Amino acid sequence: MGATFVVTLREAFEAALVLGIIYSYLGKIGARDGFSYVTRGGGVGLLASLGMGVGVGYLSGPLLDVGPDIVTVVVMLAAVALLTWHAWWMQQHARLIKSNMQHRIDEARAGNRLWVVGLIAFTAVFREGAETVLFLWGIVAQSGGGWGSAIGGVAGVACAAAIGWAIFRGGQRLSLTRFFSVTTIFIMLLAAGLLSSAVARLQGMGLLPLSEPLWNTSWLLGDGSLAGGFLSGLIGYRAQPTLLEVCVYVAYVILVSLLLFARRTPAPVGFASPTRS
Amino acid sequence: MGRSGSVRGWVLRLAVMAVTLAVVGIAQAADPEIPLVIEKNRFEPDVIKVKAGAPFVLVITNKDKGPEEFDMQSPRIEKVIPAGKTMKVRIPALKPGKYPFVGEYHAETAKATIVAE
Repeated sequence: MGATFVVTLREAFEAALVLGIIYSYLGKIGARDGFSYVTRGGGVGLLASLGMGVGVGYLSGPLLDVGPDIVTVVVMLAAVALLTWHAWWMQQHARLIKSNMQHRIDEARAGNRLWVVGLIAFTAVFREGAETVLFLWGIVAQSGGGWGSAIGGVAGVACAAAIGWAIFRGGQRLSLTRFFSVTTIFIMLLAAGLLSSAVARLQGMGLLPLSEPLWNTSWLLGDGSLAGGFLSGLIGYRAQPTLLEVCVYVAYVILVSLLLFARRTPAPVGFASPTRS
Repeated sequence: MGRSGSVRGWVLRLAVMAVTLAVVGIAQAADPEIPLVIEKNRFEPDVIKVKAGAPFVLVITNKDKGPEEFDMQSPRIEKVIPAGKTMKVRIPALKPGKYPFVGEYHAETAKATIVAE
């Protein structure tokens, strides 16, 4: 029971983190009407997860061999693009708030199409969702004493959801500017981790050149441990990253920091494209 | 339209790239195949000797009633193998050395190592 609890908590943690941040963001900018986009996005992500979880049972051949991998990598890269875009928007809002330009926040809100937050919610849930579905379904399907494990698995997801809720509640208490700066950094690190993780997958598929792990901290904090899972969700921690993973991570953080935090006059909202880099 | 168009354009570009990569990946699939069986939450064999420097394909059959996730840390390969299915997992060329992997859903028992020499 304990083992399945850890597996599902780890898988669902990142989704809970993202959903918690997105809901609080909408609450903060007074766009509670946007909640339904997030809920719908998450719901569609869940349905897609169930669909894929059931679907792989019917696939065979190359479609089964590489299909799920490709979907995973595409969802990861899409999530990186969407989260970067969102971080840029949050940064724009923070600037406007600092300069007391409430009316421009409303303009910005109108410009930041709310379906994007729905898409972010979708990628967050769908990314690990199919695996979690397969995992839980497998436990139930296995005969003998599976129910304790299944309860552990469901409890793991519930616990992750509680963490997401706690982030939402906590986010409501933070001051607006602090909330924006903290979550922008969180989202940036999360996206950097996702990007390097996608690179690692592509290396594993032989589509990017393979390199030795740069270091190995498995002895200190394994990827399979609960703490390792949390750190992986938060900042993209890996026990054995390759040189390419580390380079991509660092390059992303530097480029996006420049994009987000470089001192400059506030750009007219609506013309710059944040996913350019 | 400009902003949302650019996001959509990105997603589309990524999708096209992924499909291209996939086709390349499938086209390369003429590598030696090595069978690997999952049974009673264990890998059989649990030591797989391969030639270093040459890619190969693990043909993994899951004979158990539940799915298992092939999980290797370095190089990073994660693959869910549904119950009763056989899947091909392509492993890129490895340098001489030991490459342990686990079945993530039963990590206490499902442990094995690829030895490249």
